[in-house]
Amino acid sequence: MPKVMIPTPLRQFTDKQDSVEVAGATVGEILGGLTTAYPGLKQNLYTDEGKLRSFVNVYVNDEDIRYLSKDKTPVAATDTVTIVPSIAGGR
Amino acid sequence: MIKIATEPWHVMVAHAEAVFPNECCGAMLGSSDGETKNVTAALPLENAHQGPQAVRYELRPEDLLKAEKEARTRGLDLIGIFHSHPNHEAYFSETDLKNSCPWYSFVVMSVKAGRYDHAKSFLPNVDQTEAPEEALELPATDRSA
Repeated sequence: MPKVMIPTPLRQFTDKQDSVEVAGATVGEILGGLTTAYPGLKQNLYTDEGKLRSFVNVYVNDEDIRYLSKDKTPVAATDTVTIVPSIAGGR
Repeated sequence: MIKIATEPWHVMVAHAEAVFPNECCGAMLGSSDGETKNVTAALPLENAHQGPQAVRYELRPEDLLKAEKEARTRGLDLIGIFHSHPNHEAYFSETDLKNSCPWYSFVVMSVKAGRYDHAKSFLPNVDQTEAPEEALELPATDRSA
């Protein structure tokens, strides 16, 4: 099963696991399975309207899904999905 | 509360002063006991903003990924992000808020005329609508103390 890497601050919602295995063939299916298994993640990853929050980037192996097929990006059983924050700012 | 140890603090100040008059940015690594976050290492990261860097900063997700891996290698956690406001106060601006992530502490350092002046830490919420100030403890050698 594909492995999902969990950023440190979100491990409080995954029983302190830094990675979890989730079944699914696309990024959308895997994130759906992830938030079903660990409901506390949902508010951190998705808006109330069900959109991925603006500060959430998702990578399959080393590729940003925004430059692949977004939530339809295929994921193989040996792939690693990583959740990475998007951060910027300025005065 | 977030407490920054002497060594990472010196790294942060040196980085903020070195890139002045541009905004610096970086990652803070350490551990948390539930109430206090202890920063024991700081990683300066490149400001990847494509426009004027005196008023904006941007972290590459790839760099954050590397910081997370570096933290795991050292047995630490990525617990905060720092950046500077050259010639301005250490406040959490609207731009900071709209581009923040609620998973981390955000330390803002004011650098005036090339010298560190003061710093504050903030905790943005998940909807990016507010960022209350977080208690920040700096080493006794902090020049603003």
